[in-house]
Amino acid sequence: MIHFDKVSTLCFFASYLVALGLELTQFLRSSRINRWAAIGFTGAGLIAQTIYLVHRTRESGMPPLVGSMHDWLLVLAWVAAAVYLVLMLKDRHLGLGVFLLPLILLLVSSSTRMSKVSRVRDAQYAVEMLHASLLVFGIAGVAIAFLLSLMYLVQHNRLKHKTPDPDSFQLYSLERLGRMNWWAVVGSAPFLTLGLASGVWLAWNSRTTSTPVDLLSPGYVGSGIMWLAMMALFGWLVSRQQSSGKIVAWRTLWACGFLLVTFFCFEMFSSGIHGQKKAPALPNLSRIWFPEAHT
Amino acid sequence: MNLQVVYCTHQTASLSVRERLAFSSPDHLSDAYNALKERFPQCEFVIISTCNRVEIYTAHDAPGSGPNLRQIAQFLSEYHDVPLDDFYSELSEKSGTDAVKHLFDVASSIDSMVLGESQIVNQVKSAYDAAARATACGLLTNTLFQRALTVSGRVRTETRLSEGRISIASVAVIDFGKSIFDSFADKTVLVIGAGEMGEETLRYLKSEGVKRILVCNRNPDRALRLAHEFGGIARDWATLDDCLAEADVIVSTTGADRPIIDVPRFKAVRKKTGDRPVFILDVAAPRDFDPAVGKIDDNVFLYDIDDLEATCQRNRKNRAHEIEVALKIIEEETARFVHDLNHKSTGPIIKQLREHWQDISRQELDQLFRKSPNLAEPDRQAIERTVDRIVNKLLHPPLEVLRDESRDGTPHGLLDAIRRLFRISG
Repeated sequence: MIHFDKVSTLCFFASYLVALGLELTQFLRSSRINRWAAIGFTGAGLIAQTIYLVHRTRESGMPPLVGSMHDWLLVLAWVAAAVYLVLMLKDRHLGLGVFLLPLILLLVSSSTRMSKVSRVRDAQYAVEMLHASLLVFGIAGVAIAFLLSLMYLVQHNRLKHKTPDPDSFQLYSLERLGRMNWWAVVGSAPFLTLGLASGVWLAWNSRTTSTPVDLLSPGYVGSGIMWLAMMALFGWLVSRQQSSGKIVAWRTLWACGFLLVTFFCFEMFSSGIHGQKKAPALPNLSRIWFPEAHT
Repeated sequence: MNLQVVYCTHQTASLSVRERLAFSSPDHLSDAYNALKERFPQCEFVIISTCNRVEIYTAHDAPGSGPNLRQIAQFLSEYHDVPLDDFYSELSEKSGTDAVKHLFDVASSIDSMVLGESQIVNQVKSAYDAAARATACGLLTNTLFQRALTVSGRVRTETRLSEGRISIASVAVIDFGKSIFDSFADKTVLVIGAGEMGEETLRYLKSEGVKRILVCNRNPDRALRLAHEFGGIARDWATLDDCLAEADVIVSTTGADRPIIDVPRFKAVRKKTGDRPVFILDVAAPRDFDPAVGKIDDNVFLYDIDDLEATCQRNRKNRAHEIEVALKIIEEETARFVHDLNHKSTGPIIKQLREHWQDISRQELDQLFRKSPNLAEPDRQAIERTVDRIVNKLLHPPLEVLRDESRDGTPHGLLDAIRRLFRISG
């Protein structure tokens, strides 16, 4: 009998870490065995993570997206791991592991710092679910845009330095990376906007509760600034006529990187999360992304 | 065997040196042959000049009568007006058996940057034809180059060297072009020059789905022929700048002796195109594009022949087994060629020796038959056969020694001794 409760974040974190290690060995020596082993470890990690999330859902009776910030981040990591597996099984020469696996590891490790306390189902459940889902897609899009920009710059650098295409570390063409990057930014912008709007709506509704959320708090204002930065990038990408792909990649990298770093820093170094027991020392983004948690 | 080769290749010299020593057009080549014949009238010559190599093969009758490395270098220096110090250290020399093996390596594409590429056979054949037209080659170079083409055919048939990436164009497009563009189907390809390399590149790009092809060449007839062959459009040389502005992929293969596209000219083109990505493959030697063109902006990706070296080395490592098989064939063919050649050089002496001894035996037999007119015909024949056997048995040891000695080169000392011992003239 499988003991689902024995599966911990350490299980899949270790699997992803080994997979990353195996991917890094490709820089030393190209090896098909190591590539398959990396795919295998990622697959094992994904299975363990799925079991863990299923177990968490059963325990709390809430879907992971709205259960807690811990679960929400794990869903994001799960999506990234699944995307990595699908892409690698499609083309085993791709060198995506060194880009995606660190992100997955960051998400999993960040999740361990977040509260696991699940909130209870309330009247706002449907809106909360929509809010969390939109933000997952929005943040995933931002993360993908960030990674694609990084890949673009690596590929561009390789081509400019006339280095041969490594057998086991191939990347997509600049043309495809540029196109995917454009879609990632353009696609994530509406999700973030709607996610933020639904969060504001939830915060506005919290006025009548015992713990109202202040929309003018630094956290909210900071979040609004980040959103504006993303919108500026979005507007520039949509309206640009002729811009160097490298410039687009750099701007996307900075904008998305700034958004992601700020988001994770707020979450990691403040304790605000869904159903937190202790009041946060700093205004944190979870209050903005998940304002219902503070109601 | 008085044969030597002085060369610089992609393995021994940089493109910046090779392009200065290249004989880029048939006219240059013809002039060079005339100049060489004037300097060294006793010698045979064949010059191979491609983007990857400049090689001068020389053959001569008497040992020591041919030009040495220094003299060939001096010729190159004066002919191309390049200071000797700029390239002398990058020249290499091989002679005798090593020179034969080197040519067989070259013709079999073992020495090529792209292992197994087919262009080199045609380039060797063209070089030999050009030498023949210029009446620069002779008995030895004729035999050598004809054998080299045969060896090349054998290597291609008996190994798998020609499988996979087999042209410079395919290496460049796979390694760099496909990392820039996702697909070539919606791209415009411009080929500058209408030579064999341009043709080879177009053949590969066509297989990658290219639909719009522009061909721009100084000679409009050749541009038209190439464009027609690949369903492209021939453009006038005067419209080259417009063609450059239209193209996403530029392949340049002209025989110009200096860059035709410099930085100001291409900057003007980029003003029209914006910073749209452009992949430029300059496979000409001398280069058609000033290397600084690649630094104009972030989206100009310029590659020349030497930029493909690292990829080709990796390709070579992956096919070590096939190289081994090919090298065995080449060694075997080299040994056979050298033996045949040396054996041929002992042929006249052997023939004279045999004829000399047979003359003596015939004289003695005639004398015997005159003294014994009553000998029956069967007895006469028996005596003739016995004498023939004696002559053959006496000839066998010296001939065997000659054959053995000729394996390592023409046995001049031995031949001289035989001439003197048996009083053979010539």
